[in-house]
Amino acid sequence: VSVAAAIATQTGARLAAGEPLNATLHWSQALLDAEAARVDAAASPGPLAAMPIAVKDNIVTVEQPTTCASRILEGYVSPYTATAVNRLRAAGAMVAAKTNMDEFAMGSSTEHSAFGRVRNPVDAERVPGGSSGGSAALVAAGVVPAALGSETGGSVRQPASFCGVVGLKPSYGRVSRYGLVAFGSSLDCISVFSRNIEDAGRVLSVMSGHDPLDATTVDRPPMALPAPRADLQGLRIGLPREYYPPDLHGGVAAALRRTREAVERLGGKVCEVSLPHSPYAVPTYYIVAPAEAAANLARYDGVRYGPRKVGPGADIHALYQATRGEGFGAEVRRRILVGTYVLSAGYYDAYYRKAQQVRALIAEDFRQVFASGVDLLLTPTTPTPAFKAGEKTEDPVAMYLADIFVCAISLAGLPAVSLPVGRSEGLPVGAQLIAPYFEDERLLAAAAAIEAAVAADSEVR
Amino acid sequence: MSIGRDQVLHVARLAELAVREEELDRLVSQLNRIVDYVAQLDQVPADRMTDPFLPGPPAVALRDDVPDPVPLAQPPASFAPEFRDGFFLVPRHGAMEES
Repeated sequence: VSVAAAIATQTGARLAAGEPLNATLHWSQALLDAEAARVDAAASPGPLAAMPIAVKDNIVTVEQPTTCASRILEGYVSPYTATAVNRLRAAGAMVAAKTNMDEFAMGSSTEHSAFGRVRNPVDAERVPGGSSGGSAALVAAGVVPAALGSETGGSVRQPASFCGVVGLKPSYGRVSRYGLVAFGSSLDCISVFSRNIEDAGRVLSVMSGHDPLDATTVDRPPMALPAPRADLQGLRIGLPREYYPPDLHGGVAAALRRTREAVERLGGKVCEVSLPHSPYAVPTYYIVAPAEAAANLARYDGVRYGPRKVGPGADIHALYQATRGEGFGAEVRRRILVGTYVLSAGYYDAYYRKAQQVRALIAEDFRQVFASGVDLLLTPTTPTPAFKAGEKTEDPVAMYLADIFVCAISLAGLPAVSLPVGRSEGLPVGAQLIAPYFEDERLLAAAAAIEAAVAADSEVR
Repeated sequence: MSIGRDQVLHVARLAELAVREEELDRLVSQLNRIVDYVAQLDQVPADRMTDPFLPGPPAVALRDDVPDPVPLAQPPASFAPEFRDGFFLVPRHGAMEES
């Protein structure tokens, strides 16, 4: 038995044992074995040889269905595979499973899946975060060493923080989105979960780089593997005061104090900075993202994909309305309605145009702080540790505020990583490190130094 | 600003989305909650407004305009709800009948 075949068998056993998490939507031992056979047949092993990687179910693969956890795509199998997955496979990785998620990546708790909620492996009563909750849970449970998620407004960093794993969002345009089902096109990024910073860097370096099939990828070479740093000498780390409000959860505040002390022990110079337009990030996001989603999701009409419902009247509008009305879940329908509203005649300038202008102010805040000599920013990833299932499902705005520390970075297109820095009453707490545009290597090198200096599994006080 | 039932139904028609009568009141209240929340952008002074921002490459690099066959692992017939003789089958478009 080859190493790849043994890992495929072991991964299958772990996926089966992990079924109570409801983190996977499609996997089979036969497909895992086929992945191992492909790795064994490759001319050279590749940098990710025989690494099992789970893939969020909004990233297309020809071998498994791609449903985006939606009834409207039930049974849909893509006729092509995403560039990111092709690149991982070319490097020797094995696709282990397609993972559960909030429907069309809209949500912060993975409770908005048509196929049931995902459990947090740390505490099954709590959510794993979202929208990439299935991928986060599989990595946290030790089923796979790494998984792909997607970020539109924090959908990898936030669940990484809730589950106690690393979540890396690269710079916008760093990784091809060919084969990522579109949600918010000016925001979407394929992103990485892993158990440690080094693996996140290995996966990103393989996936990154220009792709002629995605005109929004930046024409620069793939990210080099970051040279590990033993310390943070010579780096200025900014703490934006808007991210440390007086009512921040006590455990989160304590974990971040401990992280700050670790940064100082490592020789990093810590300073307070301000990003004055941060309070507008969530409202800006909840105009821009639904508007783009309303446009992107217009294609699911019962004609080209998935199940078709024929409504009363039997004309094409009845078909569209019945298929979409029944196929989309509650949160997706809400966002399509909000997006259509803010783009409709008479409201476009008041909402969408204004949001894009405020987005410019948010991006400019970051540019000015980095131009002032700050190398990286350190913030909490989430305002609280993982909340209980059902706690925020009735109030959409309360759910949106779970992303208050992550979505400004998405609006600005910057790279950021969440890494576990402690536990509060047993629940993981994540710290977020943010870098200037396309400084993903600097980000990962510093994050690795912090990772080595904090006791992520120990309780904070 | 308040969104009423008629406005929600109008937007749902624009979005080609069937809305059931029994969910309408809840939707009206949730959409109002969301729209009231995002309206706080009105607090940003107008004189600070600049050009809209988009991340990514400064210019979109276009490929040569040469049509290539699209390699598909699955033919359209395998994923379209109804497909015959190279066409997607759909119900009649009422508006076209009238014109």
